[in-house]
Amino acid sequence: MNREDYRKAFDELSFSADFQERTADLLQKRARELEKECTDMTFNKTKKMAVLIAACIALLVVSVSAAFAWLTPAQVAEEYDQPLLAEAFSGKDALLLNETVENGGYSITLLGLVSGRNLDVLNQDLEQDHTYSVLALRRLDGALLENWDFDFSSFTMTPLVEGYSPRAVNNWTLDAFAQGFAKDNVYYFLLDTASIEMFADRTVYMAFYEGFVPDNNTFTMAEDGTIAFCEDFTGVHALFTLPLDPAKADPAAADAFVESTGLNGWSNERTAAETEEFETERSVDADGNETVIIRPKEDAPALAVE
Amino acid sequence: MVPFGTDETICRIVAEYSPMLLRLACTRLSSAADAEDAVQEAFLRLLTARPAFRDGEHEKAWLIRTTLQRASDIRRKAEQRNIPLEDVTEPAAPESAGEELRSAVRTLPEKYGAVIHLHYYEGYSIREIAKLLGLPAATVGTRLARGRERLRQMLREDAV
Repeated sequence: MNREDYRKAFDELSFSADFQERTADLLQKRARELEKECTDMTFNKTKKMAVLIAACIALLVVSVSAAFAWLTPAQVAEEYDQPLLAEAFSGKDALLLNETVENGGYSITLLGLVSGRNLDVLNQDLEQDHTYSVLALRRLDGALLENWDFDFSSFTMTPLVEGYSPRAVNNWTLDAFAQGFAKDNVYYFLLDTASIEMFADRTVYMAFYEGFVPDNNTFTMAEDGTIAFCEDFTGVHALFTLPLDPAKADPAAADAFVESTGLNGWSNERTAAETEEFETERSVDADGNETVIIRPKEDAPALAVE
Repeated sequence: MVPFGTDETICRIVAEYSPMLLRLACTRLSSAADAEDAVQEAFLRLLTARPAFRDGEHEKAWLIRTTLQRASDIRRKAEQRNIPLEDVTEPAAPESAGEELRSAVRTLPEKYGAVIHLHYYEGYSIREIAKLLGLPAATVGTRLARGRERLRQMLREDAV
């Protein structure tokens, strides 16, 4: 069998001539229904909020965390039709944390995480363990977080490991897959990465921040390997320490992984290029295409990203 | 990033990925209508799950994995509805060499079929397939070699 024969065999296949048109129509219709459901939910929620606020005033003492009932990690997994993952989040190996950091006008709560193999029904062919983490985000001013408005992509949720460069151990090197959705004014992130348990003999963090790939404008590493956000980092951010079981560590595998990235170098000192301050200008055209123009603050040529 | 729900992105994604995903679904499904269902379900899931993609490759990988899973689901459901084995009549002989080859690919274990197709039809390298399917490159290499060998055997047996 050669490639030509193979291609010929599959090129013989014929599908409905209107498949693409029909599918696009179906998706557009469904997208409008989803949008309407979101709008209806917002309307209902506004009424519910008024009742809730009245109840809170009457009681006078209501803690902030108790006022919001988060979905559990298992319920978040169920929202994604992931029964195996939901079961794992309800099992004894799951770490349910419910730790909250308030920063930049947001309440950021790491709900929990679990590690295991083949927990994702959409991807049952994996030959390595994965770690699934769930985080909830809420605006402290009560402003609504909606699927259609919220810019999910401007935030990063990533594991980091003490003593290893944030450039070497992060979402991108751990082949992460992030999903998110808003429900009842809370935005939930479900993060799937290669298992982070191999790093468990070190301090393992879960960082959440406004930004992209981790660099020394965002993070700083102390001489003992401790990682923290830079003092001058102004975006929304939170850093959680994960209580992983050190018995599950595999230092040799961890070192091999970091070595394989070729990215373990780190310096807190920024180069001239790294310290250069940029300004961004965002615009959205009539078709919804967003253009971001990034330019140094001085009069240098602009770089447009679409 | 423009959300998937806009008319423009829906049209782009459907036009860009449909041909590839439909053929890929046919490595697990014998009916074109079933393949169309699998691909539609994958697109619908993209709309409701709203995953965030790092780049176009990440988006493609997600659609490939989801389509393969949906195709497997449809195949399993069809098999569960099947009449008892003793009542199954001998399947009709393939009408063409192409159908013979497609039938052999469908007979392969699923883990081999996807790798074979992505390599032979789409022209992806082992490293690219590893990235798309979230597998170690060595595993992809092994599956490609074993899948190819099994295909050779099946096609040779059919020719006898």
